[in-house]
Amino acid sequence: MRILGIDTSCDDTGVAVVQDGHNVLSNVIASQYEAHDRFGGIVPVIAAREHTAKINFVLELALKKAQTSFSDLDAVAVSHHQGLMLSLVVGVSAAKSIALACGIPLIGIHHLEGHIYSNLMGGSDELRFPFLCLTVAGGHTLLLKVIAHGTYELLGHTRDDAAGEVLDKVARHLKLGHPGGAAIEKLAEKGNPNAYDFPRPLINSPDGEFSFSGLKTAVIAAINRDPDLNRADLCASFQQAIIDLLVSKTMRIAQEHQLCQITLAGGVALNTPLRKALQHAAKEHGYETFTPGNDLCMDNGAMVAGAAYFLYQERGSDPLSIGTRANAPLGTTGVRYRHESKYK
Amino acid sequence: MRTLVLDTSGPFTTVLITEDHQLSTSCILRDRPAEHLHEQIHTSLENLHITPQDLSRIAVVIGPGSWTGLNIGVTAAKTLAQILEIPLMPLYTLDALAASYSKPSWALMNAGRNQCYYARYSTSDSQEMAVGPINAVIQQIHADSNSIHVLEYGDTFKERFAGNDKYLSMDRLLPEALIAAMKTSGSIEGADIKSLTPAYLQPSHVEKDASH
Repeated sequence: MRILGIDTSCDDTGVAVVQDGHNVLSNVIASQYEAHDRFGGIVPVIAAREHTAKINFVLELALKKAQTSFSDLDAVAVSHHQGLMLSLVVGVSAAKSIALACGIPLIGIHHLEGHIYSNLMGGSDELRFPFLCLTVAGGHTLLLKVIAHGTYELLGHTRDDAAGEVLDKVARHLKLGHPGGAAIEKLAEKGNPNAYDFPRPLINSPDGEFSFSGLKTAVIAAINRDPDLNRADLCASFQQAIIDLLVSKTMRIAQEHQLCQITLAGGVALNTPLRKALQHAAKEHGYETFTPGNDLCMDNGAMVAGAAYFLYQERGSDPLSIGTRANAPLGTTGVRYRHESKYK
Repeated sequence: MRTLVLDTSGPFTTVLITEDHQLSTSCILRDRPAEHLHEQIHTSLENLHITPQDLSRIAVVIGPGSWTGLNIGVTAAKTLAQILEIPLMPLYTLDALAASYSKPSWALMNAGRNQCYYARYSTSDSQEMAVGPINAVIQQIHADSNSIHVLEYGDTFKERFAGNDKYLSMDRLLPEALIAAMKTSGSIEGADIKSLTPAYLQPSHVEKDASH
């Protein structure tokens, strides 16, 4: 089954073609970084305008790279839940046009399911339900028990900022350019992770709750206090605090729920020290870790097509009337991973 | 020539199918988000027992108008034209507003933040659409004794034209207005379709604030 996947949930226009949920034939991502850079963050109206300007070029390129034509597609999948509303509607409009003109099924995917399924796209059968998934991205930090296809249980999430968001904000403060997480990782290579004793909020709390805003404040205060500080040391210490928080919580939850397979997903999953630290901690307990291919970590269309391949078999296709939601409960059990007020 | 016509520029989502400038079917919904657009296209095709492959052209209102509505409508139209490999005809809101009225006439629309989109359509050549301060534009319109109509998309300037019988407010672009605009508009093909963007006519408020 050949599925075209579209993700326009935030500031990247992603389109991919994936065969049978495993074989990524193309995965094109058009970044909008330059359009937002001077505003100090992503501006939703500009993101929507950029998606509208680029989507048809990205579509064409994704098909060309996959040596596929519209008529070869068996289904079209799109992130329609979770993200910026103004951006989501652009990808959804393109996907609906494809479904309509090609006469193929439309599959709406929750953006977070795309991240979760990026680990199931490797084609190996070593990863089995139930497993633990740590999703760490610009907008999310959450621990989910993946029980079956489309069925999840929330075991922990951030009370405030997402880990990726904090990495981006500190990188911006240091004027490190884009992508912030990668720039911090690079600087941290030459630094001492013990140079600064940054706080690790909630690290000893018995639940799966995360908090990163206090850490962010402490790091930014350190930068403001001493403009001539050793940036490598600062980045190494900051990155270490994030890794400690993520790994210790993940291991505690894995033990408590007896989940001996742990997957890492989202843009921050690209961070090599985080991958290594999680692998190391898991190994000590005899647990296994899984990480997606690098191209599947950041927001992309391939993970959407991958998730759609598995979920289509469970719940079928969606009508042309499917709507978009900035925040939507996740999966068959309607997992609510944000404050209740966000779902109104 | 069978044309699918889409308008998501305002509070109404309009889908028409025309055959040589004659209306074959219409599906018009009020106050429904443009996310229902594709259902409306599907219904319109079904009404005529045809498939998307039976269309020979797509026409779409590209603005100015609702930012999100235009993004949805223009993306839908571009993608359909790209797949079906048929020409795409961009239509402008103000052109459609004025198309079925005698000239010279003014067409205008509130652009928010004390600005409005406007154009003066004369018998010979049409003025380019522009965006300007509401007070100055309305003053200019009042001073134009030659004009026959003042057409507003919406009714936010109703009070400003109270007692002026040239003024007409319209809450949507009627099928006949869209068809009339099609008669004077050109089509684009191939790569030009992919690079078509809505006629926002002004930068986003964030960019405007940043430039001050």
